[in-house]
Amino acid sequence: MAVTGIVVSPGIAFGQAVHINLHNQTVDYRLLPVADIAKECEKATKAIRFLTSHLSHCQTQIEPDSEHFHLIDADIMLLEDDDLAEQLKNYITRFRFSAVVSVERIFAQHAEELAQLDDPYMANRSNDVLCLGKRLMSAVNGTLQWDVSKLTDNSILLAEDITPAEFATIPLNKIKGIVLQTGGLTSHTAILAKAAGIPALLSCQFNTHDILDGSPLILDAISGELHINPAPDTQQLLQQKSEQESKRRDALLQYVDKPSVTRDGHPVCLLANVSSMNDITQIEHSGAAGIGLFRTEFLLMQVDSVPNEKQQYQQYCDALHSLNGKVLTIRTFDIGADKEIPCLSQQYEDNPALGVRGIRYSLQHQTLFTTQIKAVLRAANHGRIRLLFPMVNQIEELEQAFELIDWCKQQLVEEEKGFGELNVGIMVETPAAVLNLPHLLPKLDFISIGSNDLTQYTLAADRGNPELVKDYPPVSPAMIRLIKMAVDTCKIHQIKVCLCGELASDTKLISLLVGLGIDELSVNTASLLDVKATICNGQYQQFYRQAQQALGFSHIEQLNQLFS
Amino acid sequence: MYEKTVTIIAPHGIHTRPAALLVKAAKNFDCDVIVECNGKQASAKSLFKLQTLGLYQGQSVKIFADGEQAEKAVETVSELLITLS
Repeated sequence: MAVTGIVVSPGIAFGQAVHINLHNQTVDYRLLPVADIAKECEKATKAIRFLTSHLSHCQTQIEPDSEHFHLIDADIMLLEDDDLAEQLKNYITRFRFSAVVSVERIFAQHAEELAQLDDPYMANRSNDVLCLGKRLMSAVNGTLQWDVSKLTDNSILLAEDITPAEFATIPLNKIKGIVLQTGGLTSHTAILAKAAGIPALLSCQFNTHDILDGSPLILDAISGELHINPAPDTQQLLQQKSEQESKRRDALLQYVDKPSVTRDGHPVCLLANVSSMNDITQIEHSGAAGIGLFRTEFLLMQVDSVPNEKQQYQQYCDALHSLNGKVLTIRTFDIGADKEIPCLSQQYEDNPALGVRGIRYSLQHQTLFTTQIKAVLRAANHGRIRLLFPMVNQIEELEQAFELIDWCKQQLVEEEKGFGELNVGIMVETPAAVLNLPHLLPKLDFISIGSNDLTQYTLAADRGNPELVKDYPPVSPAMIRLIKMAVDTCKIHQIKVCLCGELASDTKLISLLVGLGIDELSVNTASLLDVKATICNGQYQQFYRQAQQALGFSHIEQLNQLFS
Repeated sequence: MYEKTVTIIAPHGIHTRPAALLVKAAKNFDCDVIVECNGKQASAKSLFKLQTLGLYQGQSVKIFADGEQAEKAVETVSELLITLS
């Protein structure tokens, strides 16, 4: 059996289940007898004192002045707050709630207040407050337990949640992995687990009763799955995956922090293609200089309704936060063709690849489009964002899109919401787009060549049709010339060219692409270091000569031989 | 009464950790220091209240205090609001 979750720290771990905190709070919602009021007040005060000393004790086990130490400080400060004491007294004496119920109410209300803040970073802290509230409830009930002595070697720690204080007391050498039912990408546990290099899966809805202490588990924090009592074949498969992965990664790790430059000093900006928030968190150690393509339509695939402006804003801010100053290229929803989005209405089309897709769909569904643009503009206030429009063919589409950006800015001014400036680019995916570049480029900051679609539209060969793939490959004389044409036009206008299709992930073709003059390559994270190694070990002079040679070829077979 | 208005420049605003440092500093003074932002007020000595103000980047914040040490307290808190991140 397998349960999925969000990977916040990648890796594969084999071990035994250990449940660490089970907060089965017994909460009595009955009105307090008047005679018990004083006793409940006393109980609340004692619980606060108990939890505070527990937290101070946790602090003694970690480095003073660390981020971690300050977070626990903040928790202690919240507990010792006069305002909290007053509210507790008020709830108990005036409303006659028990101490536990009072704590539950006060912290829930406070968390709710935080969740409503406009700033996503602060709104995220609402979870930490709830966590602290739960600990205080346990303290009142006398059930506060955080028993790390249960941990044996090879433990995979299972919990509902973990506070930073609790994390500090975990003997990290004993645990192989962490799986929590709550938490997200920007939660403290995520940050701490990642820093400690322990594979971790958050928001994993495992059923506590399905997993006994000591059950064998495999935590696949690459695919985002927790395997419970894995069958022998699953075990073998994952064992192999783990070994291959670690060998490959070890060899490539030397390239993570190396600049992506050829041996003769030609830089090639190497970016990552991502489809989810999950992918973005794995960028940090991938060796990428940023995100070259965020396929935002994937955010719509598993939801019942389109996220609103605030939700999207929060997601883009989370992405920026994970990227820590690196560039984020957001492609607007690319809907249509082979992508079906359950929560959106899509008309049946006889020929969807030549139908209402990409920017065409967006211009016909302006509410969807402007909601996203507004969210992106607002997020741009917090970091560097490039906006990318898919399937732009001609200037009319671009003019309409720019009009809508201006309209969105106007709206944001009226709503008194802050926003930042964007760099704007288009996906070049059709021969028409290449031919129209001289007119399009003056309006743009960059372009990104989508080699998959450009191949299918140039060669009029369905990329999903296996009978055509062999005879109409992307590396063909027409495609190479078209890419060259795009690059040359961009050089005249001093505009950077990115290539973000599958071509860029094929290490055999790096010489061709870089040799043709592509400035940036955006590839999936799994191939990133392979590509980087190819660049670092290559000579631009040689790449250039190979590209020139390729441009002279008339047959596909010649190209295949040159780049085999 | 002594008051001062500052603008927050920290990219992520005054989130949990800096807010805690601010509370610590405010507690060193006898007088109460009030922080006002977004039409809401909170004591600089209460992290509980301070958290709910939404002290994010670009926000204009008024700090005021009464009584002995008022000036020094307000200056200290203002300084922290613009330097912490």
